[in-house]
Amino acid sequence: MIVRIARKELTEQLRDGRFRASAAIIAVLLIGATAVGWRSWRDVSEEHTRAQAEAREHFECQEEKNPHAAAHYGLYLFKPKLPLAFVDPGIDPYTGVSVYLEAHQRNDLQHRPARDATALQRFGELTAAAVLQFLMPLLIVVLTFPSIAAEREQGTLRQVLSLGVQPGQLVAGKALGLAVSLGLIAVPAVAIGVYLLIQSGPDAEKTWPHALAMATGYLVYLGIFLLLSLTVSARARSSRAALITLLAFWIVNTMIAPRLATDLSRRWLPTPSSLEFHAAIDRDIRQGIDGHDPADERLRRLEEDLLTQYDVDFVEDLPVNFQGIALQASEEYGNAVFDRHHDTLWERFWLQNALRKGLGFVLPTLAIRELSMGLAGTDTSQYHEFSEAAETHRRIIVRTLNKDLEINGADLGFMYQAGPELWESMPLFRYEMPEIGSVLFRQAFACLALIFWLALSIELLNRSARSLRAD
Amino acid sequence: MVLRIAQHEARLLIADRTLIAVSLVLVAIVAYGVANGASWVAFQQSTRDGIAAEEQERYRQLRERLGSPGSGTGVPADQVGTSLGARYAALPSGPLAAFVIGQSDLYPSYVKVSTEGRQSFAAADEIENPVHLLTGRFDLGFVIITLYPLIILALSYNLLSNEKEQGTLVLLLSQPLRLRTLVAGKVLTRAIAVVGLAIVVSIGSIALSGQDAAEGDFTSRLALWLAIVVSYGAFWFALAVAINALGRSSATNAVALAGTWLLLVAVVPALVNVLVRATYPVPSRVELVQAIRNASNEAQTEGTRLKARYFEDHPELVGAEADYSEFAIQSLATQNAIERSIAETLDHFENQLRRQQTLVDRLRFLSPAIAAFEALQDAAGTGSARYRHFMSQVESFHAQWRAYFHPLILRAQPIQADELERIPTFTYEEEPISQVTERVTIGLIGLVIPAAALAAISVPLLRRFTVVS
Repeated sequence: MIVRIARKELTEQLRDGRFRASAAIIAVLLIGATAVGWRSWRDVSEEHTRAQAEAREHFECQEEKNPHAAAHYGLYLFKPKLPLAFVDPGIDPYTGVSVYLEAHQRNDLQHRPARDATALQRFGELTAAAVLQFLMPLLIVVLTFPSIAAEREQGTLRQVLSLGVQPGQLVAGKALGLAVSLGLIAVPAVAIGVYLLIQSGPDAEKTWPHALAMATGYLVYLGIFLLLSLTVSARARSSRAALITLLAFWIVNTMIAPRLATDLSRRWLPTPSSLEFHAAIDRDIRQGIDGHDPADERLRRLEEDLLTQYDVDFVEDLPVNFQGIALQASEEYGNAVFDRHHDTLWERFWLQNALRKGLGFVLPTLAIRELSMGLAGTDTSQYHEFSEAAETHRRIIVRTLNKDLEINGADLGFMYQAGPELWESMPLFRYEMPEIGSVLFRQAFACLALIFWLALSIELLNRSARSLRAD
Repeated sequence: MVLRIAQHEARLLIADRTLIAVSLVLVAIVAYGVANGASWVAFQQSTRDGIAAEEQERYRQLRERLGSPGSGTGVPADQVGTSLGARYAALPSGPLAAFVIGQSDLYPSYVKVSTEGRQSFAAADEIENPVHLLTGRFDLGFVIITLYPLIILALSYNLLSNEKEQGTLVLLLSQPLRLRTLVAGKVLTRAIAVVGLAIVVSIGSIALSGQDAAEGDFTSRLALWLAIVVSYGAFWFALAVAINALGRSSATNAVALAGTWLLLVAVVPALVNVLVRATYPVPSRVELVQAIRNASNEAQTEGTRLKARYFEDHPELVGAEADYSEFAIQSLATQNAIERSIAETLDHFENQLRRQQTLVDRLRFLSPAIAAFEALQDAAGTGSARYRHFMSQVESFHAQWRAYFHPLILRAQPIQADELERIPTFTYEEEPISQVTERVTIGLIGLVIPAAALAAISVPLLRRFTVVS
């Protein structure tokens, strides 16, 4: 019986001009967005790979010089684009694309692509994720609101129920029919997406679990909207009331909630200004953390300790290069300061994000948004992971160079020069996409919120079916 | 007659509670939007106070150092020009900045100007959670562009269809009353309620937020702002009337209007954005990073030769004393060479962006939402035009800065205490209001023409309107 109702619902939809027109528009937008997203993903990704190799070459091709001069010359890293970013570019346009690694400094990522664009981007970009998160739910609302309410208004609901059809069967059949008709819209885009992902190079293989999880997430999300729309349609006084209720739910979810959540989190947990942040770091390095232990004091103590350790009277008599040790010591002090301040900043960001994710329990769009960005590798946690990886790499390079100066430059002081074999011996920077398990773990909140909403909407629809009124 | 209709309509709407509910929502979101904008302006103000204090402190230390008896030789000019004496060029928040945050969360409101190249301007970004930038803020601009049309549509999607469905339209029109007059009366009531409230609450909130009304072009900008809000509202009312005039059911009207709203507020801007980017692609900054790196590598290997050539170009700058600072001169020459070789790339960025903006200016007529969005940002002074205006002043200040310091550096002439007062300072010149008005007026045309066209279409449609279905 359910299948028969579903088939009737499907046929009805397919014959409906409004369905065909809106389905065509959405399908075209979805395919277009996927294609455009993939093209720009490919360009950027190729460029970053090329630039990364070139930057490394620059570092390796330095002439003979003091290792510390090489540390000052530094190295550029470019944020790699993970394969699924073409579906959901997430925060990528609003984070820097490159970071400069050098001695003494922890630099922020620079060059936000969003600054090189017009204000139009603030309306929201046309991406596959945006179509799935915003437009598809609206299409579901518009197609589903009359499904039960209109039958009641036309009196056909009474007829159907008088035939002995169980309300549960009727509702399930409608849900199935609508789901299939909506699924048809997504099929071509999903096929193209899968094809493009196969084309995306060697890394893509590792992202299949992510892609699958993403598809499941969207399926659940859109399912929630379908079930809720049917529930409202079953309960509403009229189809007009059903439409207004659902539109309001959609607007609050997709338009108001994200901005409201953002503003509230910024209001309650303000982000420090760049000026305050960097001034505090400079101050702590110069005067010591909390004003204890200023830099020159630290240097004097280090010198004394070394002279005692090696039992000599002058720095020149040390069997190691004092500059190398002093540089590394100041580096480590700086690292402690950077860690302290960056960790505080990121704790702030995490709290802001947690507040937003918490609201995901109230509004499913917030939850899918987080999950989708997480799986695409374009969320804050992966941005953080990249900048931490870059910082770790910086510390390795600077430490290796200082160590070389310390050991090999013993009696030459700053006159010591190292050659390309040292530059070439630096480890390569590699950033790996996190495993699916850890992504899902980090997005546990969003997953739970979606499951909660799915369970809730099933339960609500169930109840509405049981108490279905014919008039 | 129109007024009498409006009176009755108001009574009906109040009795229905819809108007009250919708008005409360409107008041709440407008006030919240302005409060949000005001807190952003306060944040920017405190940042600017912070940089001013930082600069003052640096100068105080410099003065102290130069005033101390041991510093007869002064401080090397290159140190003052690059770091110790670097000055901030700050962009004050516009008089109406609390209304629209616009692009101001993306562009830093100040630039540190030193003898370093202008590529360093791009480096200063305000720290922000990237998700916040991606999402955008809940400011009055967002309320006006996105939610205000929805409120208008929520009140008028069933302007006629409801009366028809209830059967009251026949009764009404059996009176000596023309359908046109009825519609005008209904629209008038709603317009006064929605547009009036939006305006009163925004002005009230900005007054409460402690903005100085006497400041600058406050009144002219406010007038522009009001004109945009009224015309944008008029467009959406006209759209609702036109859809109603087609004589469909309330539910169909609601779907059609929601669809049009989504199309104009979200889909068309996103498509225009794609088109603009495809037509004038901005090169990637990755390329620029690489170009700078290549140029500086080259310059460093050619160091001495560059310096020699630099002096050939500027014979007047060679100091009489031989012991000028080798390092400072070398780095100036290198910087010069780097800048020459990346100038083209940098210009390419700016030109492409300018072309993109020109195209957006043309294509904004495709959607009143784009036209209104740009106009609101212009009126509030948080759009890209004012930022570009600021950046061009920064560039000339930068040139002035270098013109002051380069000769000193090359002549190895240190800075003395009395010279600190002569170091250039930056003052922002506000964009002439006539220019702002001109831009906003073009945007207004993009609102008024579609509204008038819709009204013109509605008149014959209403004449043929069938009262009984």
